Amino acid sequence: MKYTKEERAIIYLSAMSGKDYRSCVSLLLSSQDPATLITEEEDRRAAEYLSELRRRGIFAVTLASDDYPAALKQINDPPLLLYGAGRRELLSRKMFCIVGSRITPPWAEKIGKELSRTLSEQFVIVTGLAEGGDGAAIAGAIESGNLICVLPCGLGQCYPAAHAGLKERILQKGLLLSEYPPDTVAAKYVFHARNRILAGLSEGVLVLSAGERSGALITASRALDYGRDVFALPYNPGISRGEGCNELIKKGAFLVTDAEDILSVYGMESAPRGEEMPEGREGEIVTLLRSNGEMHAAQIATMLGMKIFEATAMLSSLELKGLAVKSGGNKYSAV
Amino acid sequence: MIAKIICYALNGLEGVPVEVEADVNKGVPSYDMVGLPDAAVKESKERVRSALKNSGLLFPMNRITINFAPADLKKEGAGFDLAIAVSLLKASEQLLGADVKDIVFLGELALTGDLRPISGLLPILISAKAHGFTRFVIPAENSEEARYLGGAEIYPAHSLGEVVKHLVGVQPILPLDTAEFVPGKGKKGSADLKYVKGQPIARRALEIAVAGGHNLLMSGPPGTGKTMLARCLPTIMPDLSFEEALEITKIHSVAGVLGEEGIVSERPFRTPHHTATTVSMCGGGNRIVHPGEISLAHGGVLFLDELPEYKRSTLEALRQPLEDGKITVSRAGGSFTYPSRFMLCASMNPCPCGNYGSADRICTCTPAEIRRYRRKISGPLLDRIDLQVEVDNITYDDLTSEEVNEDSETVKARVNAARRIQRNRFEGLPINTNAEMGEKEIQEFCRLTREGDKILRDAFDRMKLSARARARIVKVARTIADLDNSEDILPKHVFEAVSYRLYDKLG
Repeated sequence: MKYTKEERAIIYLSAMSGKDYRSCVSLLLSSQDPATLITEEEDRRAAEYLSELRRRGIFAVTLASDDYPAALKQINDPPLLLYGAGRRELLSRKMFCIVGSRITPPWAEKIGKELSRTLSEQFVIVTGLAEGGDGAAIAGAIESGNLICVLPCGLGQCYPAAHAGLKERILQKGLLLSEYPPDTVAAKYVFHARNRILAGLSEGVLVLSAGERSGALITASRALDYGRDVFALPYNPGISRGEGCNELIKKGAFLVTDAEDILSVYGMESAPRGEEMPEGREGEIVTLLRSNGEMHAAQIATMLGMKIFEATAMLSSLELKGLAVKSGGNKYSAV
Repeated sequence: MIAKIICYALNGLEGVPVEVEADVNKGVPSYDMVGLPDAAVKESKERVRSALKNSGLLFPMNRITINFAPADLKKEGAGFDLAIAVSLLKASEQLLGADVKDIVFLGELALTGDLRPISGLLPILISAKAHGFTRFVIPAENSEEARYLGGAEIYPAHSLGEVVKHLVGVQPILPLDTAEFVPGKGKKGSADLKYVKGQPIARRALEIAVAGGHNLLMSGPPGTGKTMLARCLPTIMPDLSFEEALEITKIHSVAGVLGEEGIVSERPFRTPHHTATTVSMCGGGNRIVHPGEISLAHGGVLFLDELPEYKRSTLEALRQPLEDGKITVSRAGGSFTYPSRFMLCASMNPCPCGNYGSADRICTCTPAEIRRYRRKISGPLLDRIDLQVEVDNITYDDLTSEEVNEDSETVKARVNAARRIQRNRFEGLPINTNAEMGEKEIQEFCRLTREGDKILRDAFDRMKLSARARARIVKVARTIADLDNSEDILPKHVFEAVSYRLYDKLG
């Protein structure tokens, strides 16, 4: 990958000159040709820096690059420089962001995963690297590889550290992006900045779960600032992980129950898929779960008049088939 | 004149015969002990002197030498007092006409001449009987446990005076009659499953765990009755056989924790606090090694409440005994092996705040905190716990299922039936329960149907199960099939077994 002198100038200014974002921007705005902003010596050092990055498997995308995401260019504070690793070609595709709080109920994770899988057929899914909502989005999209994870730290680091293995897999199949030089460690304040990139890249943002003050809400409000669509999963009133989502819907976010709700906004359709329904008693359990929401295994057993261990056996069978999911306290819900 | 009296010392759970020789000679009055006595044995000099005097007997004012044979065995404790006193009396010709040959004398003396009970009496009696001794004089306070020996003449005495009168034939002591072993006779606990409200899933897990001898982990918010459920475990375990009871009693006797009834008639339930040290768990001591909690729980249940609070090293030390059913503790004084075939039952909160999965409270822990909390229990230990079940605090007011309030007896009957099937299956093998099966036995006895095999394969992929987890699921499925009185392991058995894995799924 060749870099133009213009790109090298931006890279030098934002990563190596020690100037902050604001002064870099004003410098760039004041000059007609960014290439004239740096000396020959500085240009040589920028080239060295780039070859060092290349050795580590990292490429740089600048505001001047051809494949700098168009949607991101439209926001008022676009990153001048993005570091990336993985499939660079994903940058020029249409993107959709799925986020959620780190503590997301299992049923919402399951739905999120399904939505992410369906949407990844038409969009590149953009998300973070945390557990919970982000994890669900990753799990759904990683199969197709249409996945971009924006890290709150340098690409050489991993936050959260427990997801180092997952990060490797994403690197193989999708794309990792970061605004920060490779060895930057995540700091508290970078999450707001990272969330602006999530929203800026995407056509729309789906919030899987959000408490009253969840970081996912920041992504949603950035999306509104940038004029993107906001979608949210509805929750039962009183569930602490869902207040944020319900609040978004009250304020006018799209209520999402299946992928169609999102795709129709963009004039798209999902590929039809036949849904399997188990036979016999297992089918009765699924019907019961679908009509009642989350239920305790003992309630299911009583209502269907079976022994508790018969019910748990069938529930675990449904779980393996991907039709039910267990949350804490022996409770189950349909997917 | 020289007198020889038989006494016994304890070496682990085995009694070792010790000959006490007394030689009373003319000469300058002196009183020496040889033959490797420890401090407590040496102190018996003064106890014996006073006891003789206060029993109206004569302490010989001659040159006295007491020898313990074999000389290379370290003699410990005060259990030799009576034998020393009798040997002195015999040597100083105060027991004329008495037959002391082949009688084993055991007991500690008080200064008044009264006999005090000793710990570890039953293991000594059992060993001595095996060595061919059939007549014993023991402290009367030890009578209860001695009663169960059978096939021997055991004379309980209250004081040295009574022993002498018995030996010279003035006032013979009546030998103890043999007691019949009744399992559960001394039953103290009031625990019973009928007092447990609801918890159908946990009840079922308890039943499976006991039926197949599996270890059990209960996870649930505080106040959901985990401890109460655990206390019910002994009540649904099969009754103790006499041999098992004797073995357990031996351990408890050596540890000095035997109750008044003299024999352990119901399965032990040990609950060491989480501050317990490794030594108190596994056994240890300076010279003589005392059995630890895991040996005291032999044949019963070791209940570890709040599992993640225990010291890591203490928990790791349990791994080998869990596998072998015995523990060998080595100290300077020698190495001792104690049996420790117990059922491990552990409980823990699902997360640091305890409310994860709670019906009425909100969990405030982050996923990283929960992960850290659960990681306190090592994988290898978790690997040895076949059943993991969630105990929840849902209210059961609207549940009217009849199985909710079954009592322990009903469950025990089903457990016994399942155990019978296992006994027949493992006839001629050194194992008794499904949980003890190794890879070879699993291959032989747990053939899955093609369908069942496919389910497990799916479960592997979905839950990212380890190879060890597979073996455990298969073993539990075998037990569930046994409870169902089914020869084959059917898919429903496998599904149910899969549902008792909690922490494999969470990664």
